[in-house]
Amino acid sequence: MKDLVESSGVRVAFKEVDVVTTGTFGAMCSSGAVINLGHADPPIKIHRAWINDVPVCHPGAAVDLYIGATMMSETRPFEYGGGHVIEDLIRGKEVEVRAVAYGTDCYPRTRLETTITKEDLNQFYLLNFRNCYQRYVCATNSRDEVIYTYMGKLLPRFRNATFSGSGELNPLMNDPDYETIGVGTRIFLGGAQGYVIGEGTQHDPGNRFGTIMVRGDCKKMSPDFIRGAAFTRYGTTLYVGIGIPIPILNEGIVKKVAIHDEEIFTDIIDYGVPRRDRPRLGRVSYRDLKSGKIVIGDRTVRVSPLSSLRKAKEIAEILKSWIEEASFYLSAPVERLPTDTVFKPMKQTREVVFVGDLAHEAVTCGEDESIEMAAKRIVEHSVNHLVVVDDEGRLKGIVTSWDITKAVAEGVRRLREIIVRHVVTAAPGEPVEVASRRMAQHNISALPVIDRKGRVLGIITSEDISRLVGGGRYG
Amino acid sequence: MVRVLLRFSREKAGQPITSQVILETGVPINILGAYIDQQGGEILVEVPSDRAEEVIRAFRERGVTVDVRKLIEVDKGRCLDCGACISLCPVGAIAFTKNLSVVFDREKCLGSTCGLCVDACPVKAIRLIG
Repeated sequence: MKDLVESSGVRVAFKEVDVVTTGTFGAMCSSGAVINLGHADPPIKIHRAWINDVPVCHPGAAVDLYIGATMMSETRPFEYGGGHVIEDLIRGKEVEVRAVAYGTDCYPRTRLETTITKEDLNQFYLLNFRNCYQRYVCATNSRDEVIYTYMGKLLPRFRNATFSGSGELNPLMNDPDYETIGVGTRIFLGGAQGYVIGEGTQHDPGNRFGTIMVRGDCKKMSPDFIRGAAFTRYGTTLYVGIGIPIPILNEGIVKKVAIHDEEIFTDIIDYGVPRRDRPRLGRVSYRDLKSGKIVIGDRTVRVSPLSSLRKAKEIAEILKSWIEEASFYLSAPVERLPTDTVFKPMKQTREVVFVGDLAHEAVTCGEDESIEMAAKRIVEHSVNHLVVVDDEGRLKGIVTSWDITKAVAEGVRRLREIIVRHVVTAAPGEPVEVASRRMAQHNISALPVIDRKGRVLGIITSEDISRLVGGGRYG
Repeated sequence: MVRVLLRFSREKAGQPITSQVILETGVPINILGAYIDQQGGEILVEVPSDRAEEVIRAFRERGVTVDVRKLIEVDKGRCLDCGACISLCPVGAIAFTKNLSVVFDREKCLGSTCGLCVDACPVKAIRLIG
């Protein structure tokens, strides 16, 4: 279609083409499945339940459960989760159900253990409350350590970047004003036919971050298009394949589906800053992203997708063949999706404390000082950490009272020899919670606070955090 | 060129074996990656194909475990062809084909001396060998 519009123009394309099929196959965390187990004898009103050790929610009455894709196994966390349970059930595998209850007069049973397959379930429906993002940001990492995120593994200092979504093939990108996609639109979902049941949560069409809520019968789905997945140190999720047909009702729609990757832009976002509003480092098109290389500042950075473009194309092709062989019928929406909703931030009633609020002046020294001088400073200021800086106040290393003690015991005389050069740091704009997590991860008790140029602004110690939590200066 | 993974036990890691082999055989050995810890060490080297046998023998005589098996195994049945691994590879051994499938170039792959891609695979389809 895109080529046809380019070669022959909108009018010809409108005459020639009836439907354009689209597709995407990516990790969609806000996914899950509703199942109904049927009643046991004696019956149980499930209070808590697990499938293959993955906790599942019990949002309804006695035996309805919701398997959330991101819920993780209690015995194999970060490896196996709700997404994998859904995939295993779709594959026809047996899964173990465990449940406990408090027991009532009508539901006396308090424990349940059984194994089931999808055939044993009354209903097994995929019910995803946010899928199919119109586009997503490109993620990179400014920190000097590897970070593991829902956008994948991000190497230190912008050494790679990741993105998600299929760009010009993305369903919602081809109908950005929701003229044909609405409540009741029949779609390809996980290898079967499903439906759009509304806008997805966080639907933000004005900023081209539209989403949809979908439902489909898992019993008819294929593991080729529904796959459990695990992002290291982030958790489990579900890869979902979605394809949506766009009927070419008028020339306006022709123009919209003719969109190209080079016209779809997204922001490059620094995931190294763990805040709601992460720094925006630039703008790239999906054409740049799909080329494998993007430019951030003055460097060229390798970029790779997290969603499968091959599968996205396959989905669009399969949907096309379904329509051609008349096994899939397009449906008109019964209600349009909102085009004016916005994605509001959370209302927070308790203030977050930032590193900058808590940090205090660091006791510093130069690299060429003697061990005795360093020891004197530590005693004078009654601190445990000396931050080593150069003439311009830039961080050069750190020395603790333990390092000094050890140096004295071993007869080391020069401070230079005991300075720890690889220093874990904090930025003033980071929440204290994030900094304290970093301290725990590295098993250390203080972080020098530095600005973007590496100049020391202060220090934050575990004592500061204890005071914050336990009361005292900030309590 | 042939890629060979050399494994050094803790005692062997302290000896200048690689230098000795280079001096003895006169073969230019290209070191692609090296790793050492308390248990010993590993070096991934590249040697000219016609001299590989001689070099391998020289290392083995000195008690080094020489491994010429492939370095990485990708379960194509599991792989989603997402490409999450591609931008992590420091030597460009992973790429998309024309039809957007992910392929690994085993000649370029650094194997266990690198392994950056392994824990980035969302479906755990990549396994290091050895």
